Amino acid sequence: MRYEFEKYRAFGQLYRITHWIFAGSCVVLIFTGFYIYEPWFTTMLEIGYDDFTVANMRFLHFAAAYLFMGAVTARFYLWFFGNKQERITDALPVTKRNIKNFWGAILNYLYIKFHVPRLGHNALAGTTYLITFLLSMVMIFSGFYLLYPGSVQLQAWGGSIFGSQQNARFLHFILMFYFIFFAMVHIYIAVWNDVMFGEGLVSAIISGSKFLHIKRPKID
Amino acid sequence: MADHSESGIGDLRLTRRSFIKGCTMAAAALGLSESMIPRLVSAATSPQRPPVVWLHFQECTGCTESLLRASHPDIGRLILDLISLDYHETVMAAAGYQAEENLHNTIEKYDGKFLCVVEGAIPTKDGGVYCKIGGRTAMDILADVAPRSAAVIAIGTCASFGGIQAAAPNPTGAVGVQDLVQGKPIINIPGCPPNPISFLGTVLYYLSWKKLPVTDNLGRPLFAYGRKIHDHCERRAHFDEGRFVERFGDEGHRQGYCLYKMGCKGPATFSNCPAVRFNDVDQWPVSAGHGCCGCTEPSFWDSMTPFEERLPEVKIPLGQGTVSSAESVGKTVAAVTAGAIGVHAAAGVVRRLAKGTAKKDEIRKE
Ligand code: HEM
Ligand code: SF4
Ligand code: SF4
Repeated sequence: MRYEFEKYRAFGQLYRITHWIFAGSCVVLIFTGFYIYEPWFTTMLEIGYDDFTVANMRFLHFAAAYLFMGAVTARFYLWFFGNKQERITDALPVTKRNIKNFWGAILNYLYIKFHVPRLGHNALAGTTYLITFLLSMVMIFSGFYLLYPGSVQLQAWGGSIFGSQQNARFLHFILMFYFIFFAMVHIYIAVWNDVMFGEGLVSAIISGSKFLHIKRPKID
Repeated sequence: MADHSESGIGDLRLTRRSFIKGCTMAAAALGLSESMIPRLVSAATSPQRPPVVWLHFQECTGCTESLLRASHPDIGRLILDLISLDYHETVMAAAGYQAEENLHNTIEKYDGKFLCVVEGAIPTKDGGVYCKIGGRTAMDILADVAPRSAAVIAIGTCASFGGIQAAAPNPTGAVGVQDLVQGKPIINIPGCPPNPISFLGTVLYYLSWKKLPVTDNLGRPLFAYGRKIHDHCERRAHFDEGRFVERFGDEGHRQGYCLYKMGCKGPATFSNCPAVRFNDVDQWPVSAGHGCCGCTEPSFWDSMTPFEERLPEVKIPLGQGTVSSAESVGKTVAAVTAGAIGVHAAAGVVRRLAKGTAKKDEIRKE
């Protein structure tokens, strides 16, 4: 069986760099965040003294938090000034084309409908990315509120949003599971797409190019 | 140091020496230099200092008790001496009709000049019938007295944020003073009970400078509530090193390790407890081996409980009151996701096995 694909430029450089910084910092944030929630080594494993394990984990968390924030800022820019595939207008089911694509993607993922090639993300994915982006902002705001207890201004700000440090910690912790959920589903769906449709979706976030079907050769 | 060897209740008068000592402790808590002490002293002894009306609403009188029975009697006496209490239900001699008349007279005579201290939350549900004094509801009394005062000091977490009365489901609709009184300077001295020094410092500051000290967004004076417990705790080195108490009474507990894993709320609580400590025994909960309960924070009965867990529990909707730890909710989400992914992948494999490999069939041009 012969397939014919054409190579298209889908995602720009900044977008791809942003993606990987976001992904990398998320892994570190989840690992160290979980550790801050429940510091299990040292007391459990008795790995010695003079190593400042918790302090170092917190340091890693905050260092990754700054990278994370950089990625989220860049993504914010791209929502409006990125290429067509990166913009918010391509992501949300607000146009007729995107609404159709949104439901089409759901039915396709349920093995009910055909896959319709599209250069950018499908609208279901785009919507999920926007939700993830917004929740990232919540993580950043709650994180900074926790990070600078000495700043009267930040405390006033955060206090009026979250109520108290304890509420912010709780939210910050619970939302971590959204990011775990997202990472699991996101990686699975990306791989699934690649296996099913061979568009090179996974490598597209490295190279920037996708391969779209141009025609289905008749085979007799 | 107070003389405990006196027989009986001893001499109730405040000596000059202990008076100065009390002012010095308050000055230290306020972060004032030694040179400011004379100013505090002269303000505190000025014959023109304002009288205080002390209102008790929904409360346990614990705040008053902790002020008056401070094992440091100097502080208790200083407070009594300092603020000519014209109306304080616990300590005044008058009772019944006479007491209410005192209140009325003070308000009339010192209109716009007296200090109003409120202890306890104010119930607002059903017209406020859940707390009445002399036939009037707490809401009425507060609405009558507070607007005519110079400033309001809410003492304790109940008067500040509603306290235990306001804990879910808040059957009486209890709220703190700041939710009902507008247009008056209000300062909150939360805590369950608050440290007498924080209260004393606020009063002395007011008497000396005729204004209330700078506060945070919750109306708490920064000199006492500007820093996190966790950042000034003597066990902090153990936290940074990862040396934790795993169970009460274990080796780590005996070693004085950090109480984080025992639910200490120090990382989420603003108060001067580790610095000022309580009474004259220089103790505070963490030094005694139990985590902080976060009693100076709004709605701490809801958000800081269970006191020996780090984070609050999650109510599961439709579960009829079922609660679960935040961690198990999160882990369930992750497990269900993993399960769903497995089912989805398996469905794809089965389908393909049934249909044979037919990748082209999956795609249609847009
Ligand atoms: C996806 C992103 C993130 C995840 C999954 C995450 C996860 C977590 C978790 C689980 C905790 C422990 C909460 C607790 O048990 O009390 C935590 C603590 C914290 N996080 Fe994050 N976090 C993220 C992003 C951020 C960001 C952007 C900041 C910004 C500065 C931040 C700052 C903090 C701070 C200050 C703490 C408290 C540490 C302490 O007091 O010891 N986090 N994080
Ligand atoms: S005992 Fe509490 S306040 Fe002290 S370092 Fe540990 S967590 Fe922080
Ligand atoms: S240590 Fe915590 S619970 Fe105890 S009095 Fe201070 S703020 Fe309240």
